[in-house]
Amino acid sequence: MDNLLNENLAWAVLFGHIAIIVAGGFITVLSESLIRALMGLILTLFGVAGLFFLMAAPFIGLMQILIYVGAVSVLIFFAIMLTNAWPGGDEHGNISGKKVIYAALAAIAPAVFLGTAAIRTAPPSIFTPDETQVSELGQFLLEPYILPFELISLLLTISMAGAVLLVFERRKKK
Amino acid sequence: MSIMTIYHLVAIFLLCIGLFGIVYRKTLVGIVLGIELMLNGAGLSIMASAQLTPTPNELGQVGALLVMGIAAAEATLLLAILLVVSRRFKNVEAGKLVTMRG
Repeated sequence: MDNLLNENLAWAVLFGHIAIIVAGGFITVLSESLIRALMGLILTLFGVAGLFFLMAAPFIGLMQILIYVGAVSVLIFFAIMLTNAWPGGDEHGNISGKKVIYAALAAIAPAVFLGTAAIRTAPPSIFTPDETQVSELGQFLLEPYILPFELISLLLTISMAGAVLLVFERRKKK
Repeated sequence: MSIMTIYHLVAIFLLCIGLFGIVYRKTLVGIVLGIELMLNGAGLSIMASAQLTPTPNELGQVGALLVMGIAAAEATLLLAILLVVSRRFKNVEAGKLVTMRG
């Protein structure tokens, strides 16, 4: 009985988070104001973080909240503020029907192919995944996966240096 | 339908809505929002594939972490590019940026 209750709760949490993700996704792409679109993105990110928690990976869920909601969203917020992309500004105005058709085609084509592939070729899945200790994750990252770990740090360094360089060069010319 | 398929369908939804946003939005900032949605869908898909099958769990968790790292690097660089573009062209509409020389 208790088990059944837990299972029902898990389904409710799953579909609740999927509803949050879908609503956030539509707000992100359809909202006229970019600030509202960013809020929709944050809603989606929280929904995905909830799915990570549901898959018994609380560490990745917390990282999702820390990195995406904490850092990436703030960066995009800066981008909106610094580029004058204001509501009633760039994103405003009627959008031609042709563009909507192209956008819908771009969305539906991969949905059909990947959706049928995902449904037809799905392997049997585990219903209750095990939780992984963070120490095991660190061991995995430092022993067999040391090369991707070093490469991602290199990538981050290069991109930060590139970002600083891009903005500095313009200032010098002024 | 297995439980993993539901997660994969959510990931496909994120990919498709991101693509829709990239084509539909006029400003570069709106396009960046679409790219973030797609990257998030990739992370979710990798994670579900590892957690809900006999694949080692660490593989998927490290994969999702690497996707997040790439997304952070990409967002930083895009902020800088957007700043430079908006200073040179005075707007960030994708349709109006037709030259590489400001």
